[in-house]
Amino acid sequence: MALTALICDDSLLARNQMKKSLPAAFDAEIVTATNGLEALTVLRGQEIGVVFLDLTMPELDGVGVLEAIKAERMDVFVIVVSADIQPEMQKRVMDLGALAFIQKPVNTDKLSAVMRQYGLI
Amino acid sequence: MTDLSFTEEQRDCLQELINVAMGLASDKLARFLNTFVHLQVPAIGLVNAAEIPEQFRGQYQGLNSSMISLGFFGDGGLRGETILLYQLENAGKIAALLGYDDDATSEAEMLTDISSILTTTFLNGLAEQLDNSFSYAAPRIISSRDNDFISKLEQTAFHWQLALKVDIRYELTDYSFDCNMILLIPGEAVLKLKAILDNVLAEF
Repeated sequence: MALTALICDDSLLARNQMKKSLPAAFDAEIVTATNGLEALTVLRGQEIGVVFLDLTMPELDGVGVLEAIKAERMDVFVIVVSADIQPEMQKRVMDLGALAFIQKPVNTDKLSAVMRQYGLI
Repeated sequence: MTDLSFTEEQRDCLQELINVAMGLASDKLARFLNTFVHLQVPAIGLVNAAEIPEQFRGQYQGLNSSMISLGFFGDGGLRGETILLYQLENAGKIAALLGYDDDATSEAEMLTDISSILTTTFLNGLAEQLDNSFSYAAPRIISSRDNDFISKLEQTAFHWQLALKVDIRYELTDYSFDCNMILLIPGEAVLKLKAILDNVLAEF
């Protein structure tokens, strides 16, 4: 059974960049959310295998989403895709349980390497 | 008449490029100051340059504020002028963060240095994503601590057609300050920018 992946970013361009950067071998249905609150609604409503999560977003940011995922013990892989590349932020999201941190604009090779590492492709 | 307005797709695209540029600028600033910069979504607005003075009247009129201009020149006719605005009471705090000794440096020197650090890190990040590179004119103080602020802004904005307003809040671990950056862009550079954004959009 193919898994469902959630792309969460407030920018349409960034969501499209993300979709296009996904490796061809990744067999998944893609759903999207435009802020953290929408992402949590999706996560609570259906089985999501992996989330590609932006950090700087209106309503609820990516850190807030990670905190909720941790608090509610949701079983989901989170790959953070963000422009906020400060070392302290990278450490913070990894401490909150993110699998990996990918710098924007997303690089296909880096993304593939991370996804291969965690058996997503 | 040539249309200088942006479509919603172009605006979204520019917003995302600005977010990434802000990320790079904040990272540099954080390393430079050895602190953490809390990044927020910068509000951007595209307006007719003639409307700019009115938009900032309420925020800065009557206050001691600093207005510093920095011209930038890129490849293919992409050029313009950035204006960094902030209240002068912030300048001392920023200077302390940057490690300035109050007596040794003139106020003018300090203001132009702050502007340079905040503006060029951001613009370099933006240029990189546009596959361009910018060179810069020497920063110029248009106004500081005087009440003739609006008329000076009017004189500057008068030369340009389009203004891209970027409202930025730099929030550091133990201190925050607001500043506004205005990118003033001539008509032909707006067309160039729109074409670049369309190319970026066509890729995805």
